[in-house]
This record gives sequence, C-alpha cells and structure tokens, in this order.
Amino acid sequence: MAIPEQSASRVHDLFAAFLGAAAAAVLISTPWQVDTSGPDPFYKGPLIFPLLVLALMILASLPAVWRLLNPPANASWHLDGAGLPVKTGVVLAFLVAYLFGLLLVGLEFSSWAFLLVALFYLGHRSPLKLILIPLIVTGLVVLIFKHVLGVFFPTPLVLDWFLE
Amino acid sequence: MLENVIAGLQATLTAGNLAALMFGTLVGIIVGILPGIGPMVGMVVLLPFTFALHPDIALSLLLGVFCGGYFGGGIPAILMRTPGVPSSLITTFDGFPLTQKGEAQTALSAALLGSFGGGIVSVFILVFLAPLLSHVAASFGPPEYFAAGLFGVVLVVMANRQQLSRGLLLLGLGLWFSTVGIDGATLCPRFWFGTLSLQNGLDLVPVCLGLFGIGQTLVLVERKILQADGMNLTGRTLDFSKLLVAMRYWKTLIRSGVIGTFIGLLPGTGSILASFMSYEAAKRASPRPDDFGRGTPEGCLAAEAGNNAVPAGAMIPLLTLGIPGEALSAVLLGVFTINGIYPGPLLLIKEPVLINTLYFSMFLINIAAFFMLALWLRPFAMIVKVPHTILAVTIMVVSLVGIYAVNTRIFDAVLAVVMGVLGYILLRLGWPIVNLVMGVVLGEILENRLRQSLSLGDGNPSIFLTRPISLGLIIASALLIVIPLLVDRRRARASAT
Repeated sequence: MAIPEQSASRVHDLFAAFLGAAAAAVLISTPWQVDTSGPDPFYKGPLIFPLLVLALMILASLPAVWRLLNPPANASWHLDGAGLPVKTGVVLAFLVAYLFGLLLVGLEFSSWAFLLVALFYLGHRSPLKLILIPLIVTGLVVLIFKHVLGVFFPTPLVLDWFLE
Repeated sequence: MLENVIAGLQATLTAGNLAALMFGTLVGIIVGILPGIGPMVGMVVLLPFTFALHPDIALSLLLGVFCGGYFGGGIPAILMRTPGVPSSLITTFDGFPLTQKGEAQTALSAALLGSFGGGIVSVFILVFLAPLLSHVAASFGPPEYFAAGLFGVVLVVMANRQQLSRGLLLLGLGLWFSTVGIDGATLCPRFWFGTLSLQNGLDLVPVCLGLFGIGQTLVLVERKILQADGMNLTGRTLDFSKLLVAMRYWKTLIRSGVIGTFIGLLPGTGSILASFMSYEAAKRASPRPDDFGRGTPEGCLAAEAGNNAVPAGAMIPLLTLGIPGEALSAVLLGVFTINGIYPGPLLLIKEPVLINTLYFSMFLINIAAFFMLALWLRPFAMIVKVPHTILAVTIMVVSLVGIYAVNTRIFDAVLAVVMGVLGYILLRLGWPIVNLVMGVVLGEILENRLRQSLSLGDGNPSIFLTRPISLGLIIASALLIVIPLLVDRRRARASAT
C-alpha cells in the first residue's frame, strides 16, 4: 500500500537524500567513468542516457532534501515500531559468511553449516529439526545443482591447501 | 497457420513441457498460499534452473508459478483472512465471513471457479488481441518504441503517485543500473569503478533474485506474518457439489475475467486493482449488493477471476511490444532475451510455434491449478503451518546457489546479496520496488531507442513530436501525469474545506 510522502518517517527522507547524493557524486564523476573518446556525436554516445537518469534521480530527491533541512512540525524518526533489524543483520552476516564458505570449504559443508547455525539462531532447538532440515536441504541442493544440472563448483580452498 | 497451431499443441503435450508446467503450477500454488512469499519469489528462485531448458519449457515452468500463485493466494484469504498474495485481500471481504458461517467449501468453490474461469477468459482475449496489437506495433520505429516505453514507465510511476518522488528515484536508480557495464553500441565500459566483474553489467537475474528473493526472506526472518492456528477446513478435497452454486454467477465470472485482463494489460496497474474493480463491478451489477462484504460466493468469485486474469493480460504488451507491464512479466522477458528471443511485433511471425505453445500451456496451467487445488485442498492449506524461518533460510540457500549456477560466477551471488539488502530496506520502508525493477528491465530498451531516434533526427528531439503514434503516446503520457495530479489536488482542497 502506498504511503503518502509527507506523513512518513524522516528515515524515508534520509534514504532518499542519500540516493540523491550518491547520484550527484556519480554524475560529477561520470566523465571519468565513461569513455567518450569515440567518434560518435553526443546524442549517439554512451553518456547521454546516464546523464539523463542521474539528473532524474537528483531532481526526484530534492523534495526529500528540502524536508530533511526543513522538517515539518510533526516529523519524527519513528519508522514502523519494529526496532533495529538485529536478527536480520545477524542472518545477513551468516549469509555473507556462507558466500566465503562456498569458496573456502565447498558447497556441501558451507550449506549445511549455514542452515544449522541460522536455524539455531532463529530459535529452533529440536535436534531432529536441526539435524534433518540442513541435511535434507543440502542433499537436495547438491543433488540438483551438482549432479542433475552438472554445475561446476570450485575445489574448496581448504582442500587445495591440505593437498599442497 | 493451422500447422503452427498443431505444432504448438504437440510441443505443449511433450512430457518435458507437461512436467514443467505441472511443477511450476505446484510451486506457484505453494508460494501463493504462503503469505509473504508470493509468485515473484517462486519465479526468481526457479529462474536459474531455466537456463538449461528449452525456451518453451522454461516459459511453461515460470508461467505455472505466475498463474499458480494467484490460484493459491485465495486459500489463506478465505480460511484465515490472510491474503497469500496482495490481490487476494479483496477475496477476504466475503471469503472469511463465509468461513465463519461454516461455509468455507462454498467460498473455496467460488474462488477456485473464479480463478479458473478468469484465467481461461483472459487466455482467450490474449489469443485474439495479441495479433491485432502486434499488427499495429509492426509499423513502429525507434521513436514509437521509445514513446511506448515511456508510456509504460509513466503508468508504473503514476500507479504509485502517492510516493511520486520515491518512485521516480527508484526508477532512475533502475535505469542507471541498466547502464552499468559495456555499452552495446560503442563497446565503451561504463561505471565499472575499476571492478572487472562490473564490466559485464548488472545482470537482471541476480538483481531480481536479490531484490525479491533475498530481500523478502530477510523480512521473513524478523516478522511472523501468519497465525495459522485458527484454520478451519472440513474435508480433504473440494466439495464439488458447491461448484454448482458458484456456477450460477457465470456472468460475473466472464465480466470479471474481461476486466482483469484489460487491467493486467496496462503496465503498473497491478492485480489488486483488477481484483477490486471486478469486485466493485459485480457488486454494482448484483440484485443484492448488500450481501457483498457479509459473505457471498459471488464476491469471492469476482475477486479471484479478476486477479487471475492479470497474467494473460500482462502477456499482451510483453509479447507485442516487448514491454513488460510489471515485475513478474519482466522476469519472463528475461527468459525470452536470455534465449535470444526478443518480444515485439515480429515475435508472433518469427516464433509462431513458441507463441502457440505458450497459449496452450496457459490453458493447461489453469486446468492443472484448478484440479491440483480441488483434489489436494487440505494438504495445500496445511502448508501455511511450515515455520517462516525454515522457509526463509532454505530460500536463501537455494537462491544463492542458483544464482551462482547461472554463470558459475561468485560475483553474481555477491550482487544478489547486495541487492537483497537494498530490497530489504525498500520493503521495510514500503517504497514501490517495482519501479526499480522496471527501470532495470526497460533501461536498455529506452536507451537504445532514444539514441536510435536521435540519430534518425540528427540529434533533434523534435522527431518524437513529428510522428503521429509517438506524438499520441507522448500526449497520453503527459495526460497521465497531469490529470491524476490535478484530481488529487482538487480532492485535497475539497477535503480541506
């Protein structure tokens, strides 16, 4: 459902202003980010469209910047009452570790470990759930991706070091 | 002509295609029943699996999820007043009161018949309307395509006009994402920030999977969306005798299917509007309008027929203009382009067998979804009892491994996680995330057509105003912006006084 812009938390304006500022930074750096040395005139070149869309982003962020500098009387930083996303942040950290784990210890062990640790952290304590779910999901992932689809997964770095 | 239809039917009835559409429908029903997951998550999670498949099989798989999701969404809406997909909110108006009266089977029969009928009506309209629109689009040049793309973008932005500047900001971000990587026309690398992996650009698949798959699961981790304890359903299967009650409303069914298809055809309007408009039309036409909202099967039937007609409606601009109407059809566009097939007016001429296969598959998906739900009603309804945290972490693993599998690049998985964080923030803030996806999908089309048009006009942008179709589309886009804003302002003034 749509949220009327004026009545919402200042967090919205802060995020919009951040996106606008990022767009401005990219716009300023665009001549160095895009090679325009080709023979094409500007309207055929690779620069015209990015400039237009970055300008659109900056323009679209201006109302939020204005509200951020001149907050309305009823403005607050209250967002949705759900608090800081600590649980989400921790699971995200597990997810990033899982990506490193894919390279370091391989698909099988990292998938199993991620599922086990994440489920434990999210409150599952039944040994049956903690053992069976990671095993079943990992087994299915390995079966489908490695054996049915034949996807190549790199040799785990740990195994490489061990073999050396 | 006839040989293409027969070839399409034969391709539809191959074991691979049938298995794909059945599996897709099954997944679609499951993700549709689970509130907070939805067909988009189902489609993006299955997307990496489609790369090894023939395009018609890949499309059947994803269309199964697309349509199946809308079928499934009505079940928790009726049994627990919790819509599985947002558009099933309208189904709760009459579905849950019927359940409270002990007539859950009547409500479910009406909803299932509505979903089935709406889907079939919309496929008929698709079959007849797509060639007509394709014929018109055949005369399009770059300026007309640009203007049509612009029209689509304006519709999407104005659909969320209460968040106009946020919508524009996300659209701009999506359009900018589409410029990252090597420019196809000049082969110049753009915005790669010294990272070689970025020279390949931001692929649509990790972007969608991150925004919707990972983003949604991060939301699921912290919020218990559903209380399934009070679910009330008698019988393992659908009570087929109740279908006769629902069949009395066949006029409502056809009307709602037509309304849903035409709303689905317009980019950005979405299935909630389709469901709501169908419901309101049924209420106005009913001899007993007061029954609506208190528990009438006609209300369930109208709402479900309206929202289930949207997928086929959304296919019309996708197939004929190559412009997806919303995020779900944008994913389907990804399947086309990955297989070297570019939807547009020539698609119906170049790929007649594929198009006929698609039509037949959509018919079969509606039939399959109806019978799956009718026969396994109770087991499907029980799916809502699966803990949301188990679902979330499982989807995360399948998504990340799937995204790596597409190009065997760990960078894509990293990109999906980054997009997941962005998706989580946008979902938590309630911003119109669809604008971002539309920007990513339409960016390349808009940029290419803009540059081609300007080349045709020697750099003079007045070329867009000298061609009647493009001028008409630009005027229509301007009216779409101005009229709703004026109406809103007038309403605000009226309510202030």
